[in-house]
Amino acid sequence: MTDSVMTRLDPNSRAAARGWSDLTIRNLFIIPTIAFLIIFNIFPLLYSLGYSFTDFRASTNAPAKFIGLQNYRELLNDEFIWRNFTITAKYVIVSVAGQVIVGFGLAMLLNRDIPMKGLITTLLLLPMMLSMAVVGLFWKLLYDPSFGIINYALGLGKFEWLADPDMALYAIAITDIWMWSPFVMLLSLAGLSAVPKHLYEAAEIDRAGPFYTFFRITLPLVLPILMIAIIFRTMEAFKTFDLAYIMASQPTTELISIRLYKMAFLEWQTGKSSAFAYIVLVMVVAITNIYVKYLNKVKER
Amino acid sequence: MAEIALRDVQKFFGPNQVIKDMNLVIEDGEFIVMLGQSGCGKTTTLRAIAGLETVTEGTITIDGEEVQDRRAADRDIAFVFQSFSLYPHMTVYENIAFPLRAVGMSTEERDREVREVAEVLRITPLLDRRPSALSGGDMQRVAIGRALVRRPKALLMDEPIGALDAKLREEMRAEIKRLHMARNSTSVYVTHDQIEAMSLADRIVIMHDGVLQQIGAPDEVYLRPANLFVAQFVGSPVMNVEPVQLSANGDGAHVHLAGDGTGFHFDEGLLSAVPRDAGRVSLGIRPEAVHLSHEESAGALGGVTTNIEPLGSHDIVDVRIGEARLRARTPAGFVAAEGAPVWVSLDTGEAHFFDNETGLALREAH
Repeated sequence: MTDSVMTRLDPNSRAAARGWSDLTIRNLFIIPTIAFLIIFNIFPLLYSLGYSFTDFRASTNAPAKFIGLQNYRELLNDEFIWRNFTITAKYVIVSVAGQVIVGFGLAMLLNRDIPMKGLITTLLLLPMMLSMAVVGLFWKLLYDPSFGIINYALGLGKFEWLADPDMALYAIAITDIWMWSPFVMLLSLAGLSAVPKHLYEAAEIDRAGPFYTFFRITLPLVLPILMIAIIFRTMEAFKTFDLAYIMASQPTTELISIRLYKMAFLEWQTGKSSAFAYIVLVMVVAITNIYVKYLNKVKER
Repeated sequence: MAEIALRDVQKFFGPNQVIKDMNLVIEDGEFIVMLGQSGCGKTTTLRAIAGLETVTEGTITIDGEEVQDRRAADRDIAFVFQSFSLYPHMTVYENIAFPLRAVGMSTEERDREVREVAEVLRITPLLDRRPSALSGGDMQRVAIGRALVRRPKALLMDEPIGALDAKLREEMRAEIKRLHMARNSTSVYVTHDQIEAMSLADRIVIMHDGVLQQIGAPDEVYLRPANLFVAQFVGSPVMNVEPVQLSANGDGAHVHLAGDGTGFHFDEGLLSAVPRDAGRVSLGIRPEAVHLSHEESAGALGGVTTNIEPLGSHDIVDVRIGEARLRARTPAGFVAAEGAPVWVSLDTGEAHFFDNETGLALREAH
């Protein structure tokens, strides 16, 4: 069956001279990828699922004991864990909402004939291309209470952005917004330029004002692609680790992934952290599913 | 409903002048068709009236008010686009209701207006569909519905049925005519199809290279073309145009085609209207005014048929006379074969003469 869709091997080729068939070559290309996926993705996934039902600790030689759903029961009843979830939710909402507002706004500004549009777009995309760790370290310097440029520019004196327990999470979210708004901008720009010009002319003829045109024409037509940007950014924000880990170590900035890291590699509760990772996985899949359902509904129109 | 006037309108796109000295008054309730080849400036003129293009110079007035500096939204005109431009994410109902919602009309009133227009256009069963589920003709009905629903001062249409297939075009043409009769709205309609222009227009505006060539009722532009361009653009098959030489002869004028000694006989009055200099004048005559006969008769010239196009209801026959070639419209099967000798006479009342240099029609003084 697979042979029928494959391109036949050129009988004069070197491969044919060595006696290789189409099938051999196909397998040569595919087997390394499959092996890689199985060894590094699928096997650990299943293995950690097994661990999540045990009290295994990777730091000791004690044999793992099967304890059923106890890890899950403990985690879901742990109020500190729920605090981590609340912090993460707050972070995701602020960060993604900020990125959508800033990114879409930039896209609206760029979606017209302006001089040096290409250059401006490229420059705006730069933050996205930096490494998370580098961005975190730089913004730590920018936020610095004594010599940081942000306090200097805003005239805030010695305001402690990252040491202030109420502010730290938002400071990290601002950095994330700075870094990832260009991503939303890029997708929005693609969506905006795909709206046919003649629809705006029709709206103008139909006497629609700028706001009415935006909410009734522009936004609905860009929504499908904007939703894709939001799905990506939500998933990414949900599993943020490096940025928050580098920038602050407040209890108020302890995102799920940081809690998970501590549980697994500082406390060495391997079994319990496997269960935790599975809970997070289920949540991310569930949230993504809600978005995808909505996206499909939007796309139907 | 309104009167629209264009005065000395000029439009440049960069260095290219696409509208030159346009002067046009469209009467209240009139159906004007702008006819011309693509790129002649007819669509630009229409868009300038709508406010989708600015004019470089000149004034546009709607009901006496100057509007050339106003936005399209403030001119109270409706526009039907060639590409329909329906809002793809809205149902037919929402599309038609859009212009009413945009100005904040109450829900009940809106509903009544939308349903009334849908009824007139016979699209009531389609109201819940999305544009992507409609046929081309229905899409155009919806686009016209959206234009008519708010009772605009004028209805502008840019090749509204150009994208449809031939049969549907004919149907929609009749429909647009019926709507115009019913609503009597001032309408400007752009097309390159002369059949559409002839069948719809109260007056036709013919444009070429940004210049208005002639304004007139359909029969007027057909029977009395102002210049060579109009003469050859309007009418199918195309009017015969041949360079001629005039000579005086005791009983009247003779019009000689190239390489023909005898000439067609015309009234003497022609000589005062048309110069006799060699190479200055062309004769224009429509194929239906060229009569063929199998028998020699007085004043008829001998010729040889060179090509026959059978068109069912009639034939178009090419006849060579001297070095010139005339096309004649004959009853189907009148000439059996190419190369047959025929006698050609002209309906002199339908002959036109054009100045070769200016292209303008030369007419006898009345």
